[in-house]
Amino acid sequence: MSMRSITLGHYLPGESVLHRLDPRVKLVALLILIVALFLIKSFTGFLFYGLFISAIFIASGLPWRYFLRGLKPVLYIIIFTLILHFLFTKGGQVYWRWGMLTIEEAGVAMGSFMTLRLALLVVTTLMITLTTSPISFADGIEYWLRPFRRLGVPGHEIAMMMTIALRFIPTLMEESDKIRKAQMARGADFETGNIFRRARNLVPLLVPLFVSAFRRADELAVAMEARCYQGGEGRTKMRELHTGMVDYIGIVTVGAVLAGIVLSGI
Amino acid sequence: MLIEARRLSYTYMPGTPFQVRALQNINLTVQKGEFVGIIGETGSGKSTLVQHFNGLLKPTEGELLINGKNVWTEGTGLRQLRSRIALLFQFPEHQLFEETVFKDIAFGPRNLGLKNGEVEKSVRYSMELMGLNYSSYKDRSPFSLSGGEKRRAAMAGIMAMDPEVIILDEPAAGMDPLGRRQFMETISMLHREENLTVILVTHNMEEVSRLADRLFVLSQGKMVLEGTPSVVFNSPATIKESGLEMPPLTYLLTRMRECGKKVRTDIFNVEEAGEEILRLYGEVHR
Repeated sequence: MSMRSITLGHYLPGESVLHRLDPRVKLVALLILIVALFLIKSFTGFLFYGLFISAIFIASGLPWRYFLRGLKPVLYIIIFTLILHFLFTKGGQVYWRWGMLTIEEAGVAMGSFMTLRLALLVVTTLMITLTTSPISFADGIEYWLRPFRRLGVPGHEIAMMMTIALRFIPTLMEESDKIRKAQMARGADFETGNIFRRARNLVPLLVPLFVSAFRRADELAVAMEARCYQGGEGRTKMRELHTGMVDYIGIVTVGAVLAGIVLSGI
Repeated sequence: MLIEARRLSYTYMPGTPFQVRALQNINLTVQKGEFVGIIGETGSGKSTLVQHFNGLLKPTEGELLINGKNVWTEGTGLRQLRSRIALLFQFPEHQLFEETVFKDIAFGPRNLGLKNGEVEKSVRYSMELMGLNYSSYKDRSPFSLSGGEKRRAAMAGIMAMDPEVIILDEPAAGMDPLGRRQFMETISMLHREENLTVILVTHNMEEVSRLADRLFVLSQGKMVLEGTPSVVFNSPATIKESGLEMPPLTYLLTRMRECGKKVRTDIFNVEEAGEEILRLYGEVHR
């Protein structure tokens, strides 16, 4: 609930190659890498993929401590997957037995394989989200939605909604922190009691938060209208996206990784 | 009630690339019954500092003592502390949530465990104190009130807890001049007659110089000046460096002094300053 939690998976401004890549290219690269990850059939494949990702991580200049902290929320899912596979995938030699429960060879192999895939997937995605500002992310998505406009997909509007939603997450977090403190100053208790009591005690926090969210939405709408906002039609961009040499090198590299994995069959 | 900060520092989001040192090595004491002002430009750490006084923030380094006891290690509990040291946030009307004004103001007293009769008494008292007529406002929805009325209802919600110390964080921001003066007069009256300890965070130099016994000036998380208003505003260079301005009266009297008029410069209310200036002209005419 505190200010601390908002930073997890949060964009970290920087000057690295990864930061400078065109967001459109980054989106495609991410897609290719995810496909590649799911085509890997062996631990050797993961080893090579892992080395590739590590190289990119070093190039990104992200502080590893901060990066690891961003992984924490996913850790539980990963551990859960591992335990499920260990206990319920059967086959091969039995390593350990306790009553009904057994850990067998196939379970260990499958569990480690799935866990590695999941972990690498999260690492890859996190690396992109940490180096791409929400605004350029939305720009990238808008570009790739453009072909679907004929089918009636409002690409610009979707991108604008994403930008606004992302923009207001920290604001609402701050707001909820402030209201929580204000109610605590009036003796509100958010920390003790059973689950029903706690849920009821949240009312003094949630009502003002909703009121303020609607107020902000209203103010934003008025401010946008006052500046003659009318959607994507004929709208130019302040920051034009440019695809340069780095971007071509990036896309070729990622393509090569995919090709390598498919051709070598690892 | 004595509030004391010792070498207090506070860092937002420590250990991340976003960390900000909001307060550095703050030492201060506030005595029972005092009226102190905390001034400083936006982002100087004023709000962060006062949130330590009732245990909403925990110092990263140093300690905060209430009546000589460390709030976080040997206090009698934070909830009890917060009922005695009330904090009114900026734009307090944003914290209203109940169906009726009465219920909203009663939230604090009920959390203190008061009986129904006592709750009603304190709600009635604090509403009248804030200039909201009890019978005509108590059953209205707080969301149907005007901006100024909402503000007063929210303030009544704090006053209903009958605190010993009240911390006001920019209480009059966005209020009209009349409402502002009435509110500050009420606070000043409570200070004089009920011995309420007041800690006022503000940008309004005129108001704070007139009302406060002592001032603390913060700049970039550090305490740069402290003392009575006449001591503090006697250091115009530091005041300017901290991004603040002199109160208009001090400015006027200082300018007159610079032009060779023999006036006192440590006057902070209009009546006294008027007399001082008249005295000067009286001498000239005589």
